[in-house]
Amino acid sequence: MEIRDVPCPFCGCLCDDISVRLDDNRILGVENCCTLGNAKFLSKGRLQHPIMRKNGKWVEVSYEEAIDETARILSDAVRPLLYGWSGTVGEAQVVGVHLGEEIGALIDSTTSVCHNPSILAIQEVGHPGCTLGQVKNRADLVIYWGCNPIEAHPRHMSRYTTYADGYFIDNTVTDRKVIVVDIRRSEGAKVADEFIQIKPGGDYLVLSALRAMVRGRDDVVPDSVAGVKKEQLQRVASLMQKAKFGAVFFGLGITMSRGKYKNVRNAIELVSELNRKTKFTISAMRGHFNVYGFNEVLTWMAGYPFAVDFSRGIAFYNPGETTVIDLLERKEPDACLVIASDPGAHFPKSTIEHMAAIPTVQIDPCVNATTALCQVQIPVAITGIEAAGTAYRMDGVPIRMKKIIETNFPTDQEILERIVTRIREMKRDG
Amino acid sequence: MNVTITFRNRTNPFIPIEAEMITPDAFLQDKEILVGEGNRTVPLEALADLVIEGDGFSIEEVDILIRGDSSRVKRVGEYMNGGTITIEGDIGMHCGNFMSGGRIEILGSAEGWLGREMQGGEILCHGDAGDYCASGYRGGRRGMRGGSVEVIGSVGDFACEHISGGEVLIHGNTGDYACAEMKGGTVTILGDSSRVCANMSAGTCYVYGSAEEMIPTFEKKGIVDHDGLLFHHFMGDVANRGRGHLYVARYTYLQ
Ligand code: SF4
Repeated sequence: MEIRDVPCPFCGCLCDDISVRLDDNRILGVENCCTLGNAKFLSKGRLQHPIMRKNGKWVEVSYEEAIDETARILSDAVRPLLYGWSGTVGEAQVVGVHLGEEIGALIDSTTSVCHNPSILAIQEVGHPGCTLGQVKNRADLVIYWGCNPIEAHPRHMSRYTTYADGYFIDNTVTDRKVIVVDIRRSEGAKVADEFIQIKPGGDYLVLSALRAMVRGRDDVVPDSVAGVKKEQLQRVASLMQKAKFGAVFFGLGITMSRGKYKNVRNAIELVSELNRKTKFTISAMRGHFNVYGFNEVLTWMAGYPFAVDFSRGIAFYNPGETTVIDLLERKEPDACLVIASDPGAHFPKSTIEHMAAIPTVQIDPCVNATTALCQVQIPVAITGIEAAGTAYRMDGVPIRMKKIIETNFPTDQEILERIVTRIREMKRDG
Repeated sequence: MNVTITFRNRTNPFIPIEAEMITPDAFLQDKEILVGEGNRTVPLEALADLVIEGDGFSIEEVDILIRGDSSRVKRVGEYMNGGTITIEGDIGMHCGNFMSGGRIEILGSAEGWLGREMQGGEILCHGDAGDYCASGYRGGRRGMRGGSVEVIGSVGDFACEHISGGEVLIHGNTGDYACAEMKGGTVTILGDSSRVCANMSAGTCYVYGSAEEMIPTFEKKGIVDHDGLLFHHFMGDVANRGRGHLYVARYTYLQ
């Protein structure tokens, strides 16, 4: 059997043209997918039962016991942290936010360690963005700044930019120019018409210089800015102004390097300046397939897109204070629930040491680096393959994730609902 | 009225205490002082010894002294409008948020957001201050609007971000992006600073040390004498159509 138009539950491109061949409730093959998505559809090996550490050893336990223990840990905590959320669907995230409110928790998502600065910048100066469909059909200039789509979002170029046919673009190869800006000559740089190599941490300075040039104030700009010659900047400023429709895509190269949200703000303000002369848009290359969705859900429910502190019974938001890395670094949380992400694999050492020192629970289908930090792990269905729901593509377009395999594993949403119910029972029973 | 608050040692000293009620006004009005410790709300006396001596008939007669470990106590002096607060040790985030009058003196160091969005009054910090000293809030267009902040030590990143009024004097160095988006007021940095005044539109900033990695879109206006010293005078940020004044003793570009 073949199921068509399955969205890929891996990266923020959320490619929804995947064909999956199935036999007897097993995936035999996948078409249209990149290697990253392929690996997820065809992955093997998962945790079969909930596990708990008892006397220093992992033991298999029932779902009931694991949920009971999780509810007890979270109810006893004075500063519980609920972290992750980007690899699950909106329906589960909604229950997560209710849980956070119920227990006065801090709730934060992987946004905190990727495009948190993009959101801060957008909150300062707005977001001249558009959908990927607009870019595909109209953009004659595409700029990848501080990102490497070939390795991180492998189908971005073929579906939406360099190699994609556009309705208003006669010949995508000759009519669409690509500029890549990075600190090293990445794979993406090799297909660019113009490559700008910036000294690490120099993005802000280059963006300021371009803004001044677009305003016609080349006179104030020094001969070289962060390793980039003034002549090249002038050439690029001219290319930008000549474009009919320019689209900037940016990644962690500018959000997580020196300057952080100021880099993104400067990029947005460059785009705003260009919009006085032509049409330009700017978009973030979001990572997890539903990282954008959590920002949507938390904003509907609490007014802020990530890093919300419910401890005083209201929603308080202040990245730097209520963000996961800062909280763990200051050793504030006294319990932690991780879901739909793997902080153990990429957080700084001091922060995961604190996670290991407090009771930490993970909800995840597989054993991963975070398992080593946990007291309890509850396996669940794989979202987007064994569980359906709503996810948001990197440009904010909602897409329905499909269930293509039957499973006995409970979904993220079901487990979270059972934890909330158990906590309410515990409160009622004193 | 003299109020002495002595924080006791706690089993878990890392849990923050939110203490926005610690203001001279609240004691003058004889309010019950409640604080948040994590997700629990408790009376201040559950965490600290409280001694109140004498009466106060006006806000100017209320002096608060904070002792013990107050390094995780946040929001002390929030919306303060008179009187004094003296902190013997370090103080947590958001000390003096939105204050409009009175004086806060910190004998130790201050965490982030010291004097956030303050409108009046004085803050003197003898140690260092964290990130966002005398700044604004996320997404806000205006940071500190009035009053004065003096830090004897150094400050972190994004000091005086969005500042639109008041005076700030930093004796030590700043981190990155001091005075970013500056819109008014006067900031004096006696030490070094880096990427200072990015995207400023108005206001005045002096850097007596070295301005490292200057934003490349400031217009050179010449050399001026200030305070008996020679400074390079820049105007900008041109990228932002800005007309702010930046005076630096020395500067470098990242070329
Ligand atoms: S680009 Fe992303 S969404 Fe598309 S197939 Fe690859 S991993 Fe999946």
